[in-house]
Amino acid sequence: MKLFKSISKIAIGLTLLIGSLVHAEVAVIVSASNANAALDQDTISRVFLGKTSNFPDGSQAIPVDQTEGSASREAFNDKVLGKSSSQLKAYWSRLIFTGKGTPPKESGSDAEVKDLVAKNPNLIGYVDASVVDGSVKVVFKF
Amino acid sequence: MVLRKSGLAAAVLLACSPAAFSDDLNINGFVSVGASVLSNTDVHIGNYDDNASFSNDTIVGLQISKQVNDTTSATAQLVSRGTEDYNTEAAWAYITYAATEDLDVRFGRLRTPFFYYSDFLEVGYAYNWIRPSGEVYRLDTFSSINGVDFTQRFSTGSVDGSVQFYYGRFSDDFTPVDETYNIELRNFTGVVLNLTQGDFGARLSYHQADMYMPELGTKTGALDGLITAATGAGVGDKFVPDGETTSFYEAAVTYDNGDMFFIAEWTALNHETAIFNDDTGYMVSAAKRFDDTTIHLTYSNQSDDLESGTVGQIQKNLEGKESSITLGARFDYDTSTAFKVEAQYQDEDTYLGAPGESGMLYSVAVDLVF
Repeated sequence: MKLFKSISKIAIGLTLLIGSLVHAEVAVIVSASNANAALDQDTISRVFLGKTSNFPDGSQAIPVDQTEGSASREAFNDKVLGKSSSQLKAYWSRLIFTGKGTPPKESGSDAEVKDLVAKNPNLIGYVDASVVDGSVKVVFKF
Repeated sequence: MVLRKSGLAAAVLLACSPAAFSDDLNINGFVSVGASVLSNTDVHIGNYDDNASFSNDTIVGLQISKQVNDTTSATAQLVSRGTEDYNTEAAWAYITYAATEDLDVRFGRLRTPFFYYSDFLEVGYAYNWIRPSGEVYRLDTFSSINGVDFTQRFSTGSVDGSVQFYYGRFSDDFTPVDETYNIELRNFTGVVLNLTQGDFGARLSYHQADMYMPELGTKTGALDGLITAATGAGVGDKFVPDGETTSFYEAAVTYDNGDMFFIAEWTALNHETAIFNDDTGYMVSAAKRFDDTTIHLTYSNQSDDLESGTVGQIQKNLEGKESSITLGARFDYDTSTAFKVEAQYQDEDTYLGAPGESGMLYSVAVDLVF
């Protein structure tokens, strides 16, 4: 009986692990104290591409990226921005070398981005949905 | 093992973020290394010839910028070009003052915003070609000016845009055909409108300046010959540009959905003086991306517009008319490095008033940014 219990625990654990690998959901988050409710993909994309620096309610929006190569970043670039990492690099090099913009700051992994965003109502980031807690608010999910 | 891994991670962090320790000092750079060969020297494309050349498309740039306080930053971009014996020059050196959240004022040495690609003309990584089409991108001498510009950004609905206004002065050596003259452009001014909506973009610009070339007529070049001929024909004063206005018009539309890219750009140069010919240059280019490979095809065309009568007859001596077709590929083999190959068919209808020839230019290049 005990053996059976632990085997089923392992099985459930494995299922959850595989499930989370396959269905890893990424959430775009702002601080719980940010006044904006849901944001649409176009707004998020304009903030992350430096085309606008404001949330819809007019407050300042500062995007934070994850470190290059993270799974959440790849998914975000692909699904929300619709660009490959080299296209994004080319996009930013057009702005960097003309003094017209700088890319979002690279601010670590899921957990680190969540902690940063929680503390500052002007920040917007994206994290794996599994690390979301009450300190942040999900404004978009994919 | 764990120790070694974290040691490596720390080393990678150090290597990747040179600016990480001086909070807001940013250092960025770009490098392009290229090699090209022309099929025959009966056609004229830049300094290319029928021996492999390694310096025409080779450029190194380093940009340092520092946020001085909340509203002010300083930027310098030093560029060293193979076409100029790798002499280092400041392409940009300016102070930006953010007057409001959406209005920037820049003072200093700025890139003249003639074209869609002007701002990042030398950052090969930022576009698909090895170099933008020479029929359109033809005002190289005047690519940087000293002055001031104002850029106002705005958003209305789903449209984002900016209006840029600049005013400045340019003075340097200029080699229009064979001889070098000092040229001064005063009241050098222009306005640029940029709009983007989703995958679509548009750019419209107008530029003008008053031209002074006091050494014209004192040397033995083709232009001095033109003045002698014009004086003999009684129209000499039409060929002296001192203080006459030159205008430049530009319009571009772009489409980019990530996999397909399209740009059409049209330009026209209009001189009050007859010493230089008015001309029109345009290009149409399409690109398709397949994963890390982008294939692109471009047609471009440039032709001089001569005045009528005796003046036009004299201008005919330096008339030019040409077109080109460029087929190329870009391979993004890393997020900051691109390898490019290109074949360009150049058809010179008329070169310096005489019937021209045609030829091929083959080029390869590696572009990277850091």
